[in-house]
Amino acid sequence: MFEFFFKYPWTVYRKGTLVLANPWPLWLLGAGLAAAAAYGLWLFLRKPLPRRRALALAGMEAAVLALLLVFLWQPALSVSMLKPQQNVVSVIVDTSASMALDDRVGQARGVLDGGLLADLRKRFPVRLYQAGRGLERVAQAPASAAQPVTNLGEALRAAAAEAASLPVGAIVLLSDGGDNAGSLGSATMDEVRRTRIPVHTIGFGPERMDRDVELADVQLPARSLPDARLSAVVTLRQAGFEGKTARIAIQDGGKTLAARDVKLPADGVSSREALSFAAGAAGARALQVSVAVLEGERNAKNNALTRLLDVRDRKPRILYFEGEPRWEMKFIRRAAELDKNLDLVSILRTTQNKFYRQGISDPKELEHGFPDSVDELFRYQALIIGNVEAGYFNASQQSMIREFVDRRGGGVLFLGGRAALSDGGWNRSPLAEILPVTLPDRKNTFHRDPATSELTAAGIDSLITRIEEDPTKNSARWKALPYLADYQETGAAKPGAVVLAELNASGRGRFPLLVTQPFGRGRVGLFATGGSWRWQMAQDSRDMSHETFWRQLLRWLAGDVNERVTLASDRQVFSDTALVPLRAEVRDRNYLPATDAVVEAQIMGPSGVAAVVPLLPVKGEPGAYAAEWKAEATGSYLAEAVARQGEDELGRDVFTFRREDGVTENFRTEQNRELLERLSQATGGRYFTPGAAGGLPGEIELSDAGISVKETRDIWSAPAAFLLLAGLKAGAWLLRRRWGAV
Amino acid sequence: MRKPLALLALLSVLAGCVWSFQRGYRGMRRLFPDYEDTGPPADAAEKTEFYFARLRYPNIRASGMWAMRGSWTVDYPKADRQFLQGVRRLTRIQSNSMERIVDLISDDIFNYPWVYVVEPGHWDLPDAQAKKLREFVDRGGFLFTDDFHGTMEWEIFTASLNKSFSDRAIVDIENSDPIFHILYDLDHRVQVPGIVNYPFTRTYEYDGYEPKWRAMRDDKGRIVMGICHNMDQGDAWEWADSPNYPEKYASQAYRTAINYIIYAMTH
Repeated sequence: MFEFFFKYPWTVYRKGTLVLANPWPLWLLGAGLAAAAAYGLWLFLRKPLPRRRALALAGMEAAVLALLLVFLWQPALSVSMLKPQQNVVSVIVDTSASMALDDRVGQARGVLDGGLLADLRKRFPVRLYQAGRGLERVAQAPASAAQPVTNLGEALRAAAAEAASLPVGAIVLLSDGGDNAGSLGSATMDEVRRTRIPVHTIGFGPERMDRDVELADVQLPARSLPDARLSAVVTLRQAGFEGKTARIAIQDGGKTLAARDVKLPADGVSSREALSFAAGAAGARALQVSVAVLEGERNAKNNALTRLLDVRDRKPRILYFEGEPRWEMKFIRRAAELDKNLDLVSILRTTQNKFYRQGISDPKELEHGFPDSVDELFRYQALIIGNVEAGYFNASQQSMIREFVDRRGGGVLFLGGRAALSDGGWNRSPLAEILPVTLPDRKNTFHRDPATSELTAAGIDSLITRIEEDPTKNSARWKALPYLADYQETGAAKPGAVVLAELNASGRGRFPLLVTQPFGRGRVGLFATGGSWRWQMAQDSRDMSHETFWRQLLRWLAGDVNERVTLASDRQVFSDTALVPLRAEVRDRNYLPATDAVVEAQIMGPSGVAAVVPLLPVKGEPGAYAAEWKAEATGSYLAEAVARQGEDELGRDVFTFRREDGVTENFRTEQNRELLERLSQATGGRYFTPGAAGGLPGEIELSDAGISVKETRDIWSAPAAFLLLAGLKAGAWLLRRRWGAV
Repeated sequence: MRKPLALLALLSVLAGCVWSFQRGYRGMRRLFPDYEDTGPPADAAEKTEFYFARLRYPNIRASGMWAMRGSWTVDYPKADRQFLQGVRRLTRIQSNSMERIVDLISDDIFNYPWVYVVEPGHWDLPDAQAKKLREFVDRGGFLFTDDFHGTMEWEIFTASLNKSFSDRAIVDIENSDPIFHILYDLDHRVQVPGIVNYPFTRTYEYDGYEPKWRAMRDDKGRIVMGICHNMDQGDAWEWADSPNYPEKYASQAYRTAINYIIYAMTH
């Protein structure tokens, strides 16, 4: 329709520049237009009509005159046109597995073979490609899509690179926009744009999810202690099953570790569900997390994901210093003794000058009391400071405690007590900085009065405070716990700290009870009471809430503490990409960055894959060593980094990762129209639906990307121009008759 | 004629015995006078970490000599308060100056994880109370028994205990056990006599010739019940301030109980 009235398609107007084809001087046109305006004014003044009517008629007459004048100068559009048959058009068909869904690749083939390809070939030499992991030239439009990966960025880069030797006039991409390799970012778009080749896109697939439940993501700790209680955070998306119940489960080699029913969220809305389970015995394992396939689901391949878990057979040691005998210590020790993967070493000041040590590995350990050297303190993974005044520790020991968290990456937990926190002068000690709360600047903050405890929103989600699996029941369980024997007032939590539980002291209000925060490489917690022993003594002996809470708190404190060597990567699952970046952080004996270490990673993978990869120092990052390695085969891998300094081994660490192909193709399978539109917009192309793809050849023609010429297209002769003239003239005549001005 | 004479002789002997006993008792009371309760110590209301809890229990129904002694109130309250002064002076335990009385009827006992039982050789726990005692121990409470002697009192003690602890053995504590070294090293222990043994030429009562430091342990091997048989720590605490009570016994009684308390607070 547009073309009928305006002679050319809208694209010509969009891309063209307005010019005047008649070389007559422009000042003459200006003078003519001024004369037309004067004529209009004369008519206005002369008409014996009310002002408005006179103005309308005079304006129309003047406009007719002005239009005629403009048409004499022959207005036209100057557009760049690709020269016929001299520019190549690259047509790329996405043949990744997601294009097989709903036979999207068949639809693409239908569009191409239904006339688009023939139309293009009439005007341009056409090169046909299929894109999966890379770009592959094909003779015919592909009929199937089975590539395990979509790497659209790589495909476009390769197609654009041909411009160096070929006059590429345009790229046409037929795709659902699923770029699971993540290569089509703004950097790639900029790169393609710089070649000035417009990328036109034709989108396939539904733009919204339809009758499907998708396991969008699973967050799981990468490492754990044996028998640890872990939480998997599962993100679900769905369409068409709102309010229905689905079962989520975690399995290890067919054995179900945890499962529960969840209510599905509203269409298109993501929901997060936590599922806790026991890590089990030591070893590396691949856990399958799934949501059951519901009847009528269109895509059953996006209901499961695999995640790796490295359960390490180690026993972190926790040093607990207690300033005087108290019940809290007994019951903390009892809870810790139930955990065979925790080693609680304690020093108790029984009298003014005598200590009682428990859990020591040899008679020499801690024989002089609290450690006074880095070597001695840093051999522990965590530290509990009980009811002891800050002044008991000398300046060097206080500095070591800070470094224990900051440099060594250990965990420190402060407990409440009559000589603890503000009452023990910790608010004025250098260690106040590492505490997760601001302590009141006064004494008498410790009270031997009852206080009840309650979880905060963060506490409901936390594994530390999870006594009951179900969050609602857990919250209720905390409220129902016996009152604490005592409590200590603290100030507000610091920025970055998380309050997991609050205490309610009748008459004195609410205070943070359990607060955690990261500090440096480590973590710090505060438990503002010495009276949680009542949770044990005032409940049935079979009740395990006290033990469960303390075991979880101690595991949080000591369980994931970095040692001298840590090996990691930017992710654990490498989907559709073989390149695995490895990075090791290496510390020396004093946990200072080791700049002169020799670091190697031994990698073992599926089917006997074995490699030794040297990690080299990273410039500007002392103690950091990195390497990249290609994991060609899919499957699970184990990398062990060993760092040496001279003859001494500083330490070693294990990192497990997984390579998989074609899995992510089954996720987020609806058309990513937004990505395709963004790509076209960024490169000067246009997005088409399959139905509108017939306009593509004309759109491609108007480009200066390849071998092009400038064309001038008259628009003064467009039917719309004559209709406008005629309309103005006829309108003026009709109005004159109506108003009796003839 | 023989019968009346024999009866007269028997009565004379009995009267002589009673007279001698009364004379001895009065003599002993002169040496160890009854405690005049002057009321709670001034700081008894202080809220502290540790409280000395004394168990109130029902006595066994006995007749004759056995009915004359045995009560949860023996040595109360002087022994408790005098012992607590030692705890406060000798350790860093923040303890209250006054004992608390608990029983196995209410749940208040669960607020006091350390409980002292005097003369359990005379207790008679009903089933419900025996069950609560087991629950107290299973939750983490510690029981310290003292001042019962000889075979008969042992049997009475275990009769009530076995109602709820039949699955637990009572064992002798080895010298090397931490409970004897946690604060004081108590390798060389002696029998701590009650004041009835004055002038302490002998230290045992009935057939309780040898002092027995026994214990009941839990599944983890921790001592949950310290059983001091054939000795009387309570008298030693009570009369530690008396020049007539030998210091070595008082000293050991303090040290033993302090060790037991610290053990209870750490295990």
